[in-house]
Order: sequence, then C-alpha cells, then structure tokens
Amino acid sequence: MEPKTRSDEEPADDTLAERASVGDREAFAMLVERHYAFIHRVAWKWCRDRSAAEDIAQNVCLRLGFAIRKWRNESAFRTWLYRITINAAHDHARFIAREMRKVEALAVHATALGEDMASYKPSHSDYVWDAVRTLPDKQRDAVLLVYGEELSHADAAAVMGCAESTVSYHLHTARKRLETLLRGSGEEQ
Amino acid sequence: MIDKDLKRLARNAPPPLEDAKRQALDAALQAFDKAGPEKKRPAQGSAPVGRLSRIVTSIRSGLMNQRYMAGTALATLMILPAAAYMTWQIARDQPGFEPELLAPLETGRSAGPDMAMETPLPPAPQQEEMERADAAPPPMAAAPRPAQRALNPVGALQQGMQRNSITLQPGSEYGQANAQRHQDGMVRSPDYPVPQIEVGRDRVEAVASHGVKSVLEEPVSTFSADVDTSSYAMVRRALKQGVVPAPETVRVEELINYFPYDYPGPDTASMPFRATVTVTPTPWNANTKLLHIGVKGYEITPSERPAANLVFLLDVSGSMNEADKLPLLKSAFRLLVNTLDPDDTVSIVTYAGEAGTVLEPTPVSDKRTILDAMDTLRPGGSTAGAAGLSEAYRLAEKGFKEGGVNRVMLATDGDFNVGQSDDQSLTALIEDKRESGVFLSVFGFGQGNYNDQLMQAIAQNGNGIAAYIDTLAEAEKTLVQEASASLFPIASDVKFQIEFNPAVVAEYRQIGFETRALNREDFNNDLVDAGEIGSGHTVTAIYEITPVGSPAILTSDLRYGEERPATTELGDELAFLKIRAKTPGEAESQLTEIPVMPEAEAESFASAADDVRFSIAVAAFGQKLRNTGQVAAFGYDEIERIARESRGDDPFGYRSEFLQLVRLAEGLDR
Repeated sequence: MEPKTRSDEEPADDTLAERASVGDREAFAMLVERHYAFIHRVAWKWCRDRSAAEDIAQNVCLRLGFAIRKWRNESAFRTWLYRITINAAHDHARFIAREMRKVEALAVHATALGEDMASYKPSHSDYVWDAVRTLPDKQRDAVLLVYGEELSHADAAAVMGCAESTVSYHLHTARKRLETLLRGSGEEQ
Repeated sequence: MIDKDLKRLARNAPPPLEDAKRQALDAALQAFDKAGPEKKRPAQGSAPVGRLSRIVTSIRSGLMNQRYMAGTALATLMILPAAAYMTWQIARDQPGFEPELLAPLETGRSAGPDMAMETPLPPAPQQEEMERADAAPPPMAAAPRPAQRALNPVGALQQGMQRNSITLQPGSEYGQANAQRHQDGMVRSPDYPVPQIEVGRDRVEAVASHGVKSVLEEPVSTFSADVDTSSYAMVRRALKQGVVPAPETVRVEELINYFPYDYPGPDTASMPFRATVTVTPTPWNANTKLLHIGVKGYEITPSERPAANLVFLLDVSGSMNEADKLPLLKSAFRLLVNTLDPDDTVSIVTYAGEAGTVLEPTPVSDKRTILDAMDTLRPGGSTAGAAGLSEAYRLAEKGFKEGGVNRVMLATDGDFNVGQSDDQSLTALIEDKRESGVFLSVFGFGQGNYNDQLMQAIAQNGNGIAAYIDTLAEAEKTLVQEASASLFPIASDVKFQIEFNPAVVAEYRQIGFETRALNREDFNNDLVDAGEIGSGHTVTAIYEITPVGSPAILTSDLRYGEERPATTELGDELAFLKIRAKTPGEAESQLTEIPVMPEAEAESFASAADDVRFSIAVAAFGQKLRNTGQVAAFGYDEIERIARESRGDDPFGYRSEFLQLVRLAEGLDR
C-alpha cells in the first residue's frame, strides 16, 4: 500500500484510520470522537432503545480499538463503520433473543416465581418499528439503510456486501410484508 | 401509505448522553492500547488470541460495573433463579446448553471482535489474506487465519453464545454487569403483528400468488422442492365443515403434491430421481400452455433401507385432550411403530408443563415396551416446547445411527411454546441441529390452536416435512404409506431452476410454490438450504407459459429493452431445467440438466398422461380457492370433469375424495 500524503489540518477519515491502524493513538481518538454520534445513531435506529443503543455503541467502540489495526482502506470508512455497528446490533438482538429463551424456560421451571414477568419493549418503539423488527435480518438491514439512513441502493449494497439488485430484492420483499403488517395496525395509530 | 410510514424510520435518535459517550471513548482507547503499540494483528496464533480476549473481558467488566451500578438490587433477584435454572440444565447434561455455560471466558472472546465484524463481508477473504501476507512484516502470521474464517457462518453465532457465558455467575462482577440485560431481555411480549391469518384460532401464514413474469426481464425461476402437504388437509377440513378456506392460506403446490403420482422413476440409487416434463394446452386458457414437471425419487426397497433412530416428541399439553388429538396421535404412532424394522430404535419425549423422557432409545424388537409407554401418556399442563425439543435432540444424539435416519418427529396441536411466539429464535435452534444430522418432521393435530406458520418454518429448517393429520386415514397415509418417503431422504437440498427460451416463451407464471421461491443466485450456493425428496416421493411443479405471438401476452415489449431474439442457436427448445440435489450427508450438490424440447408437448390436453391431467385439475382447484384471476372463468364443474376422467386407479380413494371436495367447494362458492 502506498503512503498517502494529505494535509494535517482536517485529516480525512481514511487518513486518520490509516494512521490509527499503525498505532497512532491520537488519530484513533479523533476518529472515534468524530464518529461516536454516528455509531450511536445507527445503533439506535437498529434497536430503538436508549440503553441498548448505548450498549451497542460502547461495544462498537471496544471492537474498533482492535479492528482498526486491521483497517485495509478497501472500502469507505463510513461503510466499514456501518458494518461493524450493524453487526454489533445484530449480536445484541441475538443476545436479547437468547435471554428471552432462557427466561421462558425459567418461567416454566422455576414455578416458584409464578406471576407474570415484566414484559420488555424498546423505549422508542412505534408501530412501524414493531413491524420492521419482525423482518429477517437482511431485509431489516436493507430497509433501515435505505429508509432509515436514506442511503442509495448502491451504498446500502456496499454496506451489506451484496449486489445492488439483492438490496432491491430485499426491499421489495420487505415492503410487501410491511404492507400487510401495517395495513392492520397503522390505521389505529 | 407505506412510504409515509417508512419515513418514520429516518427519525433521528435522541442525542447520546455525554456520560455514555465518554465511557465508550475510554473503552475504545483502552482496547486500542491493549491491542498493542506496533502493528501487530490479534490473530497470529492461538496464544495471543487468548491473551487479548482476556483483556477485552477485563476492560468490559470494569466499565460495565460502573455503568450498571444502579439497578443491581433488582438485578440480583433475577440472577439467582437464572443460575438455579442453569444448574438444573447442567445436571441434565444438555449438550445444547453446555458450551454456552462452561466455555472459559478466553475462548468466549477469542477472535471475538474481528470475527463478528467480518461475518457479513463476503468479498474474497482469501484474497485479503494474501494481500495481508504481503503487507504484514511477518508473512507467516496470516497462516492460521483462513481456517478460522471458513468457520465463520457457524462460528459467529457460536461465538455470540459463548460470550454471554458471563451472565451465569451470580454475585460476581460479570453477573451484576449483565443483570440489567436480564431485565431488558425479559419476556419480550409477542404483541407485535405477524403476517398471519386467523382461521378460527389456527395461525396460517398468508402468501401472495406469483405474478406473470416476462421471460425477457426474468428468464429464470428458482425454487426449492419442499413436499409438505398440510395445506390439503386443512382445506379438506374447512370444506367438510362447510367453510371456504381463506384464499391466502391455500398453498397450491401442497394440494398438488398431496397426491401420489406414478411418474417414471429412476432405476438405480446412483440416480436419485428422474424428472419428466410435459407441455399441454391450458384447460382454462386457449392461448397459453402448461409446463408440467414431475419428479420421482428413487424407491428404496426394504433391504436397502437404512436403520432408523426416531424420537417421538409428543405434545401432551391440556389442549391435546380432544378426540382428534392425543388419542388420534397415539393410534397414528402405533401404526408407524408397526412398520418399523426390529433394529430401529424409538424414544419418546413428552412436553407439557415440563419436558420429560418417557422412553429412552428402545429397539423396535421390544415393541411391547414402546406401546406400553405410549399408552401411559395422559394430557395435562401447558406447553414447554423448547425444552422438550432440546431433550428430544439429546436422545436423538444419544441413539445416533451413523449412516442411518435420525429424526425427531414432533406431534403437536401447534401450541408450541406458551408465551413465546418468536418463530425465528426457535428455528435457529433447529437449523443448528440439522447440521449434526438430526432432522425434524412435524405432524399437526386438531384444530383451534394449530400454528401452521410455525410448523412450516420448523419443518423447513429441520429438513423435514410438515403434515396435518385430521383423521386416522390421514395418519395412515402420512405416517405409514409414506413412512419410507418421509423417513428416508434420498436427496436433500433439492433445488429447481428453470430458464425459459425467450425466442419461444414470452411470459410465464409459476403455480404455487410462493413460499419456496429462492433467489436466482441461491441455486448454485450449496449453503442455501432447500427441501428434500424422500424415497419414492414425487414432486410436481407447474408453470403456465405464454408462447411468443400468443394473444394472451400481457406485457408489451420494451422500446429500449433488449430485443427478443428471433431464434437462438438452440432452436425451438422451450426451456432448460436444472436440478441440484445432494446425496444426504454430502456437502456438495450434483447438477442434473434437462432441456425441454418441443417433443415434450402433448398434442391435446386429453392426450396427456392421467397423472399430469389430474395434477392440473388440482392446480386449477387450488387456484380457484385462492381466487386467482387466471382461472376465474373456469368452473368447478370443469375441474371435476378433468379430475374424474383422470382419476385412474386410485386404490386408496384419495382422488375420489378430491372430487368430493370439488363438489363441496362448488356448493359453497355462491
């Protein structure tokens, strides 16, 4: 890889990332500081819950500390960051789902607990999100990238690491499903 | 309307709390420092991995402790019962839960950050590997990586599970840290809408029909060969009760594939199946044709039949206490046990309130014990499906027959898991077990609670069939007559892909198979799961095609689109059919290719084989029930006439029963 020469006043993301990848602590700090709001925003959109978003964002920051060492400048920094964040969001969702399973089983076996258990709802959910979160991962990602983040299909495809037409396909399928879901609940709202 | 709704997704998050941000940045910097000052990659072999991960956990736990100090009182309350439950789980020695529990923290985090990050990055890991080898100072450092990457699809999940092993240590700092999550994760209420139709109280997934597609724009159609039949039984039940089933819930391909067809089969097991393609005029449209694909699997003769290890997972919950449920189920399984070989083994697990093993793996030669155990079953309690399923898998693995058929047979009225309706999390477990060679079939009983969508999802993910059993006759058909088909797969992950020749065919429409459609690129991807074909099974797929020049063409040519080729080098070949299938247990699929030549065309509809005509009558019937526009003008009397003329031998009366259903539907449809 050829060394990049850029001015140091307003270092671009790529420059900072590259410097961080070889151990420049200051560059890394600047980079994370600059993008924390972005990470938090994406995490929030993927879970619609305040504390979960903070968890995910912190996790992403943690991962970044290691992952930046392997920064390869193969895709735009934003794209890369999207992937890490979305992944962390998925991990978190899986974690929640697993915990739910355990609690379900627990509810059956620890009969001593008896009573209803408090139910969990994301803090900023609404009827649209209720519908969106029932979609399969890929469809949900496509919907959130294109409608939530207002990316073009091509940009979303870059983040998802698939063909542009695949994104369109996911969106098409998701829209069909959402139309069914929202037809019922949307009117009541 | 939906666009307005989707705009809501773009609403911005409330700004992050300064406090949370500061801590996240601290975490990032700590991680960065621990990652080492020089450019040294975390995965240079096993030793550094272990070291790094331990560091991650320590950073994590420290920070988490700060963040979640509040709320620990409640948290501890939650942790204790959780730990108790987990201990119970260990005691039961359930392999499914073990790794999550006992994995040491360091392996839990091993390669955690980067693996999780890289899973959705398909672009050529190998290539990246090589580049890195070039760039990185120690070239051999990259060596252990590819193998690790190869495991990613499974690894990512596994790794995710292990990471959370920390939740199980009550009172420890990790335990407290994660207590908050316990609260968060608590019983997410299933009150969000799911795309289902309530039929009585049965939950059935609604599906939209395939539309007409232009061959120029979309010449290729890909689908999976699932041969579930439950839709037919549900349609039958509804009609016999004097109700027309809700149109969206009728799955035409399941109606068609309910009937046994006598297509020519292959002669040797080396050729797992044989496909016969017929083109006939369309009875309901003079200007289109039907392309009929009939596939028959190789029939295993009893001497070649592999040994079977069956685990019956039986729902004995209170809701099963009806004449058409548990008693029917017992009779049905008695029938099945009688058809098994003495060397086959059977185990029984029940679930209701709590999961219990009624019968450890027992050879069928000891039939008395099996039948006695079956007789002791009594209904009662509510359903703990997930725990029952884990137990069933444990027994299946215990009695595992190498090279044999290892299958969990779940019988339920569909009230699978009280309180949990998240079909996806359940299917994830089943998918996981499928890899270990244990398949799952689902038999639905009774009416009222039956959750068709869940059962379909479960069976499809478990490489099994889903059948709905409403009478003892149906039980006999599914379990006994088709036992060998449902039990002994001869080809798995069977996918069809058909490409139409644009010079001959202008448009096509697939009849049914809406829920089995695959992406075009999935066809060649052996990782994408598809249906299986059992011994002697038949699969029928039908397309309505519009020839070039027909007045029935719906789409006009594009002005700027590609021009329709007048002829191709392949002449008047109609289409090209490709079938991919794996020999059960193999990872790589084999490709079969069949060109559809004009010779396949029957001169008139009447000259087509009985089986072809009968299946087309069923297809027409299914489409009418779905209110498909194409058959609107085609009457039930016409359907009945075709079916009657093509009834043929019909030794078990299935086809006569179909005629009865057509008449019932005609009477109800006014």
